Amino acid sequence: MTIHAIPSTQMPLIVLAESLPGRVECRSGTEREGEAPAEPGFLVHQGLSRDSLLLRSPAPRIAQLLLMKTFRLGPILTILVSVLLAGTARADQAIDEATYRDALLPLLRTYCFDCHGSDAEISLENDASATAIQKNRKRWTQALTMVRLKSMPPEDGDPMDDATRQRLGDLIENLANAVDCVRNPNAGKVALRRLNRNEYRNTIADLTGVDYLPAEGFPGDDVGYGFDNIGDVLSLPPILMEKYLDAAEYIVGKAIYTPPPPEIYDIERAPNSLTGAKKYGGGSRLTMASSGTVSLEAEVPFATLYTLTLHASGDQAGDEPVKVEVKSGRVKKIIEVPSEKPADYQVDFRFGRGKQKIDISFINDYYVPNKADRNFHLHHVKLTGTESKINYVNDDDLPASHRRIIFVTPSEKIPADRATAEVIGRFASRAFRRPATNGEVARLTELAARVRKDGGSYEEGIQVAMQAVLVSPHFIFKVEQPRTADASGAMPPVSDYELATRISYFLWSSMPDDELLLMAHRGQLRERAKLLEKVGRMLIDRRSNQFVENFASQWLQLRNLDLVKPDQRVFRSYNEQIRDLMRRETLTFFAAVMRENRPVTDLLDADFTYLNEPLAKFYGIRGVSGDQFRRVSLAGTARGGLLTHASVLTVTSNPTRTSPVKRGKWVLDNLLNTPPPPAPANVPELERGKLQGTLRERMEQHRKDPACAACHKMMDPIGFALENFDAVGLWRSRDGSDDIDPRGTFPDGTVFNGVDDLRRLLASERRDQFTRCLAEKMLIYAIGRGTEYYDKCAIDKILDDVKKQNYRFAYLIAAIIESDPFQKQGFRE
Amino acid sequence: MTPKTLSRRTVLHGAGATIALPLLDVMSSTRLLSAAESGANTPLRMTFCYVPNGAHMPDWTPKQEGSKYDLTPTLQRLADHKEHFNVLTGLTLDGARAHGDGGGDHARSVAAFLTGAHPKKTNGADIKNGISVDQATAQEVGDATRFASLELGLEASAQAGNCDSGYSCAYASNMSWRGPTNPMSKETDPTALFDRLFAGKTVKETKRAKSAREKYRKSVLDFALEDAKRLHNQLPEVDKRKLDEYLYSVRDVEKRLNGVERLRMTEDGVPDFPRPSGVPKGLKDHSELMMDMITLAMQTDSTRIISFMFTNAGSNRSYPEIDVSEGHHELSHHGKSEHKQAQIAKINRYHVDRFAYLLSRLRQVHEGSGTLLDNSMIIYGSGISDGDRHNHDDLPIILAGSGGGRIKPGRHIRYKNGTPLCNLYLWMMQQMGAKAKTFGDSNAVLDKLG
Repeated sequence: MTIHAIPSTQMPLIVLAESLPGRVECRSGTEREGEAPAEPGFLVHQGLSRDSLLLRSPAPRIAQLLLMKTFRLGPILTILVSVLLAGTARADQAIDEATYRDALLPLLRTYCFDCHGSDAEISLENDASATAIQKNRKRWTQALTMVRLKSMPPEDGDPMDDATRQRLGDLIENLANAVDCVRNPNAGKVALRRLNRNEYRNTIADLTGVDYLPAEGFPGDDVGYGFDNIGDVLSLPPILMEKYLDAAEYIVGKAIYTPPPPEIYDIERAPNSLTGAKKYGGGSRLTMASSGTVSLEAEVPFATLYTLTLHASGDQAGDEPVKVEVKSGRVKKIIEVPSEKPADYQVDFRFGRGKQKIDISFINDYYVPNKADRNFHLHHVKLTGTESKINYVNDDDLPASHRRIIFVTPSEKIPADRATAEVIGRFASRAFRRPATNGEVARLTELAARVRKDGGSYEEGIQVAMQAVLVSPHFIFKVEQPRTADASGAMPPVSDYELATRISYFLWSSMPDDELLLMAHRGQLRERAKLLEKVGRMLIDRRSNQFVENFASQWLQLRNLDLVKPDQRVFRSYNEQIRDLMRRETLTFFAAVMRENRPVTDLLDADFTYLNEPLAKFYGIRGVSGDQFRRVSLAGTARGGLLTHASVLTVTSNPTRTSPVKRGKWVLDNLLNTPPPPAPANVPELERGKLQGTLRERMEQHRKDPACAACHKMMDPIGFALENFDAVGLWRSRDGSDDIDPRGTFPDGTVFNGVDDLRRLLASERRDQFTRCLAEKMLIYAIGRGTEYYDKCAIDKILDDVKKQNYRFAYLIAAIIESDPFQKQGFRE
Repeated sequence: MTPKTLSRRTVLHGAGATIALPLLDVMSSTRLLSAAESGANTPLRMTFCYVPNGAHMPDWTPKQEGSKYDLTPTLQRLADHKEHFNVLTGLTLDGARAHGDGGGDHARSVAAFLTGAHPKKTNGADIKNGISVDQATAQEVGDATRFASLELGLEASAQAGNCDSGYSCAYASNMSWRGPTNPMSKETDPTALFDRLFAGKTVKETKRAKSAREKYRKSVLDFALEDAKRLHNQLPEVDKRKLDEYLYSVRDVEKRLNGVERLRMTEDGVPDFPRPSGVPKGLKDHSELMMDMITLAMQTDSTRIISFMFTNAGSNRSYPEIDVSEGHHELSHHGKSEHKQAQIAKINRYHVDRFAYLLSRLRQVHEGSGTLLDNSMIIYGSGISDGDRHNHDDLPIILAGSGGGRIKPGRHIRYKNGTPLCNLYLWMMQQMGAKAKTFGDSNAVLDKLG
């Protein structure tokens, strides 16, 4: 690890790099020195070195910078305003209805109802009041998108001038999404969220020091709103509960050392499988009609006292019962088998390890023809032994986790129950991410006491209590106590501990560290300077790799790379190793923009990336040697920014060809937050037979159908601008025998030519739209629920905050943490 | 113990270390698993296999009806089993249709495939589907076995992005639903499945005594249950739903822990089958290993109800192993392109080949006077008919097995197009002993099967 000296007083903050003379480079892994065995970062998950995620210098001043905030209404003014506005809801509704009737309806009649009349599949006419529009909010939001993108009304209808378009858009927005940002907009309610696979594994690692790899084999977490940490969608089927139970057992066994229980040797034999049994014929029981011997031969694994059990019976005759001699080596014993019904007869032998032979002989045959016949029947043979061992544990051999968790052991002064309560109280408080209650500690202590009472050790008692903690709903779920608004209607804040949990799962996908819990305990998380300072440090911490891995790779859909499977006969330089490196490039790049606190638009137009030699070769970039990823300048090349990353270009392609539609849709979905509506049913895709010319020409013909054109004129031009990159992201100037024509036009008439133009447009004219999109996606990820219309106020504010800070990344994170949906608990509408 | 009856364990040992499948007939009467307890002689099973993106129907639907029909190119792959299955034509899944919800046929078709419901269009909040046929049946008759049902597949849940046009991936990745809001995740790892079925139950000469951790499993669960009950009262409705899932799952697992003791699985051991190691790479090997596990699970009567998804909805995977390098979903929008249709048919045959493997395996296991397949009802099919039209009527459906003599196999049965697929499910549920009078959108019990 290379850290160039940074005074520790300057460490804590992520900061504007240019405020320091000369940048200092350090690498990941630095933050966790002296802590529990670190959980692997995302690079390790992918089999790569954890040292390779580049970090940039932290520097001071962020607290002050982050502190410069918008002016807020003071509390008195707020109350005044809300008093003034109270009781006006009905009046508002009347105004809305008037707006609909007098302003919106005439426009809709002119431009929309021709096609979207009352009997159309997508009808706008049926929502004939402001209330109806609000109820059918989703549809109207879609309509709004179409209008703003100039996709609707279609070109063949009445032309619409820009002012009218603006007015129509604003009217729909105001009516459909009417939400009053001043009077306590709903802060929303996340459904009880269970830990997802990653969170579980990270939390276990931070809590116990055990990296529980099998968590990868938990059933996949379902995705909603593009992310796998959405409370509504994370279900808990029995199979998962079963795995939690197994996991708890395994994990506490790793974290706390207890001597393994003894081994048990246990074999059973059918008598006809014994040595010498052949002459007594087949069948399930062996019958000796005259004196004879069969032998059990066994390889016993350890020295101990073994018990041989014969399940046997005898035909009785004469004056004594059936007698059997059981002999091994010099030890022999005679047993009597007096019953005609099968019963168990046991003999003990002390054996050393190795091959043993036990002879079983019928020794008192008695036979008087037609009168009396004494026979021996053997039904079943069993040999068992339990390993005897001395369990001596040297304290030095205990795992670090053991010594950390069990910090008290019972002694003359400390009774076992008190020691247990201390140990389990601390463990449960960390696991539940809040102080465990006295009642909880008492129940856990009782459980441990029961184990000891049954003969278990102190440590075994702790283990069982820990298991109970690890399957408790307070561990499995991020529990938040329900709250109700007070008389003023202000949304209630979540508790400090709940806030700490929200923050740490947002940035680390794991439990809060002790410092964050302590801050919650002291009530410091709502002190702005302290909060921001801590958040800055959390972003530099290696654990925020988890944010990169979990947020960025889902936002950009990089997790789907594994599913794409480009045809390697066509794309010869592509293979699975390159695929993994592609993904790593993008994640490392994202991490750099985050940790250097660069403007979020750098994600679109940075002139650098991160490569190693194999990936640079794949791209055809020279001068990079070695497996280490390092920063590489892209100045003067066609590349730069996410749109030109091979990972993104590959995940939006088909196995054998590029898909301008998918690429366009990807940009609209993930960068501009204007997902095109789903394709109507029964629309054929491109067909080779009927359409002619290049891919582009064929798509243009295909788009002649106005039903298709509305959406495709948004998607396709974006995709065309990226046509210079093939289906695995390599540069090309021709597609087969066709020249690439990367020109395109947005529906609003903006013309662009190729990726340079597109990138510039997105990062400048569409900058706010992109930032808003990123903010909304990140908010969804942060709060674990889809955004609703009432979150608009919060998102507006986040965007404002970020703009004031030149779009810098850390301020986006800070603004999300400070937003109402993150800080407060609202309700479901 | 009467001399002629052996515990399975004794038999296994008596025959030495290797007893190959199938198990000896002599053991069927001593199967301690619940078959004997419930009084039925041979249990009846049902399994549902799902394939994505519909089928190339001209290669699927037989021209003639009845028992003297010619196998079509796709069904030709089942020629060895022709006397053991029926092709059912004309069945329809109305719930998968748009009903004003617009696109998203793939997600809908999986969500509706076993439920017959029309899933609520949402990306997450307030997910709502119906209960699926396997789960509805399991809730009534699943108590007889250690696992009321198993949910299996080859592809884990989707990892990122929107699965299909505004539908949460929960719809696209799960076809078994315990209730309208509770999808049942599937197991995709044959090793994990094997361990789940048989861990600690293989017959070894040496094993370890139980650790405290193992011994107190039940106490640990009781503790959790107690926690959940206390918490339950405090939470609002939306959270209660989640906690209900938790409570249900804990109780279900607890039942299973008790069941192990009741059924004495450790005494019985399991058929000798090597523990799989990891997930095989190719679909062929992966699916065949899972089908071995399905066979084992049914053979040991660990469960009688299984659902199995080849892939998630709208899968766009390519099949380089059979020279199909384009994505399946992309191809399914064939626009009548002959090339694409040919590729689709190729993928269909490939999937049907895998199904043929399952049928062979089930036929290898003798049970009573027949085979495991004879005592089963195995559905194979898709919730979409033609991938290009996205239509949900005239679905490609196979019903294999004789259902313990209740089904007359070897036929192509044509129903009036539009007949609810749920009519078939209702019939199956009733055969399993469920008392259902309706299921999903059923309007009658399907006829002509016997």
